[in-house]
Amino acid sequence: MKIYTGSGDRGMTSLFSGERVKKSYERVEAYGDVDELNSVLGALATALPAPISGITDEIQRIQSELFHVGAWLATTPDSPSLAVIKKISAQNIEYVESAIDRMQAELPPLQDFILPGGHPSSALAHIARTVCRRAERHVSVLRLEYSAGEVRKQFETVLSFLNRLSDYLFVLARYCNRIQGLKDIVWRR
Amino acid sequence: MSLPKTTPSSIQVTELLKRGWLSKNTFEIELTRPAQFDFAPGQRIRFIHQGSQRDYSLISGPDNETLSLCIRYVERGAFSPILAAARIGSQFHFSGPHGYFLFQPSKRPAIFVSTGTGIAPFCAMARSGITGFTLLHGVRSADELYYAAVFRATAKLYVACLSGASKPAAGGFQGWVTDYLAKHLPPGSYDFYLCGRTEMIRDVTLLIDDRFQGSLVYTEIFY
Repeated sequence: MKIYTGSGDRGMTSLFSGERVKKSYERVEAYGDVDELNSVLGALATALPAPISGITDEIQRIQSELFHVGAWLATTPDSPSLAVIKKISAQNIEYVESAIDRMQAELPPLQDFILPGGHPSSALAHIARTVCRRAERHVSVLRLEYSAGEVRKQFETVLSFLNRLSDYLFVLARYCNRIQGLKDIVWRR
Repeated sequence: MSLPKTTPSSIQVTELLKRGWLSKNTFEIELTRPAQFDFAPGQRIRFIHQGSQRDYSLISGPDNETLSLCIRYVERGAFSPILAAARIGSQFHFSGPHGYFLFQPSKRPAIFVSTGTGIAPFCAMARSGITGFTLLHGVRSADELYYAAVFRATAKLYVACLSGASKPAAGGFQGWVTDYLAKHLPPGSYDFYLCGRTEMIRDVTLLIDDRFQGSLVYTEIFY
């Protein structure tokens, strides 16, 4: 079964809403980052230490929401295709916040900058965090096109979700090390 | 067009009611429609049978009491031989509805392009009240022009594109769907809906990039 058509060989791609655009288009950059983030989260879920493998469910739920974010970003706001896409809501942000609070309660206070590393799962969480930050930057550029209205509101919700998700990944990185008995790697000037 | 409320992951049971051959390698089946199973024209159902899964687009409209499918018989295929040989009354499991190949009303002319049994989702759309579109159906010979009567009654322009040796009837075209689009569709912006083989999807999409910039393209690949 062929999964390729070759219709993107000349540097163009189709948005979910049907437009043909250059692959360098900023909207493609934005949902490409979200796709990359989703992939790194998949790698992270496979590397979680056994004592916290239950977090896999949490990560997969976030991955599913990122699919919705990607589809929304791949759809131009005035398209009728938008009607079939689930939008991110405040509940999704609250879910991530509650996971942060749960892990944070078990971690010592942070008094220094820390270096990414330690357990492989922690290192992957840091990679996911930085990809998430890049997605956030690209989405914030797209948001500039919309000064008001429902689209602007949804951009703000998506940005809050990504912002909170990068915080989640930072805390998860520390949590993965902590569970393995590893200390934060403090930055030495 | 919004999605129906039926949960795609829920497993449904259906029963084979009827089967009829449309050509030497394509047949149509009619199935019972489970209570409260809803779908939008252009969507697929996914058969689940002895560890294998296979998607087929519905050709019936959402208002029909039964579900119908148009199936190309593949001799060594995973599923079409089972459906071709199943006794009437046999039960099957499926999930769905799946897919986002839905008609999106707009001010631009709608151009439906299909090859072979890729005509299926357009049949469901025509049967659900969508009219005024241009439809190109690419096949080798005239006996594969399934549901022509449905499209003659609903399309603004219906073009049978025959790539084999047989000559098309009046209003038909001898050649590939891409040849027709390149030679006869005036440059402009359209809403293209493509359903069929990967080669057709690729060739038409590249033609759209060259000749019909500003158009929208919705695709559904038939393997």
